Amino acid sequence: MRTSRAILVLLLLLSATFTLATVLQPQAARSTAHSPSDSPLNLFMGDSRRMFANHFYVKADVYFHSGFYPSIFDQARDSEVKENHIAAAQQGKEDKPEQEEGMNFLGEPKDWIDRMGRHFRITEHTHLGGENAREILPWLKISAVLDPQRIETYTVASYWLRGIGKTDEAEQFLRQGLRANPNSYQILHELGRLLYENRHDPARARNIWMQALRRWRETQQGLKEPDEGSLERITGDLAKLEEREGHYADAIKWFELTRLHSPNPDDVQKRIDSLRLKLAAPEHP
Amino acid sequence: MMKAKSASLTSMDSARDPEGSAVIQIQKLCVEYAGRGFGQGPTLAVKDLDLRIGQGEVFGFLGPNGAGKTSTMQVLLGFREATRGEAFLFGVNVRQPIARQRIGYLPELTYYYKFLTAEELLRFYATIFKIPRSETERRIDALLDLVDLGSVRKRRIRDFSKGMQQRIGLAQALINNPDLLILDEPTSGLDPLGRMKVREIIQRLKNEGKTVFFSSHELGEVETVCDRIAIIHQGELRVAGRVGDLVAKYHTDLEKIFLQIVGYRAESSS
Amino acid sequence: MNTISALAGVVIKELYRRKDFYVLFVLTALITVLMGMMRFFNDAKIIGYVKEICLMLVSISALVIAITTAARQIPAERENRTIFPLLAKPVTRGQVLVGKFLGSWLATGIALVVFYLFFGILSGSHENRWPVLIFLEAFWLQWMMLSVVIALVVFGSVTFSAPSANITICMIVVLGILTVGEHLNQVAMQQNQPVGSIISMIYFLIPHLEWFDIHKLVLFNQPPVPWVYCLLASLYALGYTAVFLFAAWLAFRHKPLTA
Repeated sequence: MRTSRAILVLLLLLSATFTLATVLQPQAARSTAHSPSDSPLNLFMGDSRRMFANHFYVKADVYFHSGFYPSIFDQARDSEVKENHIAAAQQGKEDKPEQEEGMNFLGEPKDWIDRMGRHFRITEHTHLGGENAREILPWLKISAVLDPQRIETYTVASYWLRGIGKTDEAEQFLRQGLRANPNSYQILHELGRLLYENRHDPARARNIWMQALRRWRETQQGLKEPDEGSLERITGDLAKLEEREGHYADAIKWFELTRLHSPNPDDVQKRIDSLRLKLAAPEHP
Repeated sequence: MMKAKSASLTSMDSARDPEGSAVIQIQKLCVEYAGRGFGQGPTLAVKDLDLRIGQGEVFGFLGPNGAGKTSTMQVLLGFREATRGEAFLFGVNVRQPIARQRIGYLPELTYYYKFLTAEELLRFYATIFKIPRSETERRIDALLDLVDLGSVRKRRIRDFSKGMQQRIGLAQALINNPDLLILDEPTSGLDPLGRMKVREIIQRLKNEGKTVFFSSHELGEVETVCDRIAIIHQGELRVAGRVGDLVAKYHTDLEKIFLQIVGYRAESSS
Repeated sequence: MNTISALAGVVIKELYRRKDFYVLFVLTALITVLMGMMRFFNDAKIIGYVKEICLMLVSISALVIAITTAARQIPAERENRTIFPLLAKPVTRGQVLVGKFLGSWLATGIALVVFYLFFGILSGSHENRWPVLIFLEAFWLQWMMLSVVIALVVFGSVTFSAPSANITICMIVVLGILTVGEHLNQVAMQQNQPVGSIISMIYFLIPHLEWFDIHKLVLFNQPPVPWVYCLLASLYALGYTAVFLFAAWLAFRHKPLTA
């Protein structure tokens, strides 16, 4: 008898709660201007999902370094330990000395406890290579689910997916990123690279890179500190594409644009000069 | 006047004290509890208790609730340290664990490891007494038959009734074939058959020359089985002596003697 | 020794007759298998994340089993009054403590063996390699770490009034040591005095349990720890275990068993 009464009271309370919710929800939605398409993840976790997304993004880098990674205390102490190396690889900065400096965080043992502890830790700086790079992918995927607006997750994952021969999956992931970030020139640039390097489709790659350039101009031009690195990469890739296709004039045009934003303008100038020579050669119309 | 009477009663203690050492010897025992509330002083639960129990005696330790019986037993069993005074079992100070090698103890409230079976429980206690394996199995069989739990030896204690738990408690108290059995309210919660069983076991132990020390509120039983008794009230020993001598002296039964000792006065009818 | 081993045996029996271990093992296995069935980018060869999740669940489960088993031993004996028929036998309180510790530790060890067997089968079946030595080292070191944890919890069980308080505090302390213990010296150097000295003192006093977690070595197929350092770490763990058990004995030996 007591149990049935309790169940009845519970059912009544649940009914009252749901009724109240249906009355209040439209008003609450209006006041907070939530989009009806907000995912449950967004609703439940709020902005903390970005924190978790960052954690998993960093985890991918930890895996890339086979577990040898500075802690937050090392990073707080040493500001050089900043850049994520899986991203650096995607941007072609891997194995540069300045990238590796930040990984010398261990230093000499500070005391006997530290010295002893190092025997139980990974103390060698290595990178996952070849097929083993697949191990970083789950963390990037989870990061993207948690924060679909984090652009570099898509570009980095695509780079590594292409490296292990998963071109279809890389393209699918990039297009997923584009749906979440339609204005992203970085994702368009990476998609162009996929089409050029893996699909061997220069025409489509060119179109995508042109689209990336347009997006860059729409979003970056006029800013105090525009993303010149991305511009340099997009125009540089366009230039290299045209050069390989034999369109030297177009290549020169793109290299000149690249030179304006490149950290190594002299190297770019050398390439322009060599292209001019080729253009001037008699066999070239 | 009551105190004078108590003094005369205690002088009647002419306990049988066979030549040889006492099984239980308590000397000037005091047990004090710290005050609970702010500003409260300590409470003296047992005051200068002297007691001597010889071999082969069945000794009843009586007193109303809060008299100090449990505190005395806790000191004997090593659960609590005496504030002052000493206690000995078979001549060994109770502070030493070896003093408990030859005793068996049945607590009033029987709680045993519920996840063990009856025979596992007895085997566990037998291991503590370092009884050899073959002897352990023989004793387990005998004890479970004695307490009528042979058919449920593989049942877990959690599935035992209160009476069954009391009986397995008796079995574990006898696992080491003790020379001294300390029982705290042994018949509490038992049906008449169970109480009869306990009386039979006590009688059997007595016939074997063992010593039994127990507290009880069942004065009828005490009168039947005990050789000597002691009555303690408000921490002090009020009387100790042979049951027959006390009954002869007061020309009444033990219950009325008890009530007189503790100063009980019946409410007069209007 | 008979008494201590008998007490330990009772603790082990209790563990495998309770549901805790089975629930945790089934949860671990279920979550791991479910995670293993997921396919990221249609790649069936990715195993790292499954191994990591499995090892993390094994660590958490082992820690939960160790702490909850050890935390309830003495309080349950007192609450259920089973300590009275026990101490009425020729058993010292020190033997009770050691027996309870040993039982909790062995029981946790048995649970760990089962967990690691599961992990080994999972890992080996995916990677077709069986680095038995590093697995054994990981198990051994984790078991040694749990001896320190269990001794700490046993000390807490005779110090704190409620098992829940003991469990909470010990869990926080252990997790704190595992996450930040190795970095306290860095933190100390960045603080002003006297805070820096206090943190430094804590750094040198606490048992460095993070030494015993070599899951990253397992995960990233690193070479095993040289046996001499394993031995030194084991002695280090046994030292701290002895200290905590001694402290527990000091706290328990004169404690009244009733209110």
